[in-house]
Amino acid sequence: MVIVPATTGQMGVLPGHVATIAELKRGVLSVHEGSETTKYFVSSSFVFIHANSFADIIAIEAVPLDWIDVNLVQKGLEDFTQKLSSATTELEKAEAQIGIDVHSALNSALTG
Amino acid sequence: MASNAAVPFWRAAGMTYITYSNICANLVRNCLKEPYKTDALSREKVHFSISKWTDGKPEKPTLRTDSPEE
Repeated sequence: MVIVPATTGQMGVLPGHVATIAELKRGVLSVHEGSETTKYFVSSSFVFIHANSFADIIAIEAVPLDWIDVNLVQKGLEDFTQKLSSATTELEKAEAQIGIDVHSALNSALTG
Repeated sequence: MASNAAVPFWRAAGMTYITYSNICANLVRNCLKEPYKTDALSREKVHFSISKWTDGKPEKPTLRTDSPEE
């Protein structure tokens, strides 16, 4: 079973799942095989669940959790929180907000 | 059909999904431990050639090599 962080909420995918295309928000994707679980952090991605019980995860970046450096995450979170308060244009604000969202998701992935 | 939820903040600010997705990916890459980080930075590099077409003919192509942008 795979648990994916869809934009509409956590979704569990088992064989026989109805064919679906879902947009995922950045977060932890966990693959449960028997008693083993492997967790990955995905930056925004899509999941395509096909009718024949195959599922594809299409992501630009998907990294195992232990590849993430917690210090860089904390620093990034501080940087972007600061950028948000000093942002002027809509675009800058959006970029800073994305930075905060991604870094908080990384943070909770490491601590959760 | 019900209308969708409010547009995501990045789209409201004029950003496309692809831009958003690339920014997210870059941020994740910057938070990796070595040696994964140096491997990942090589994924960010793009190298492409663009040529504008006028009157059905391509003009001289320009070669663009972008290293990871902030």
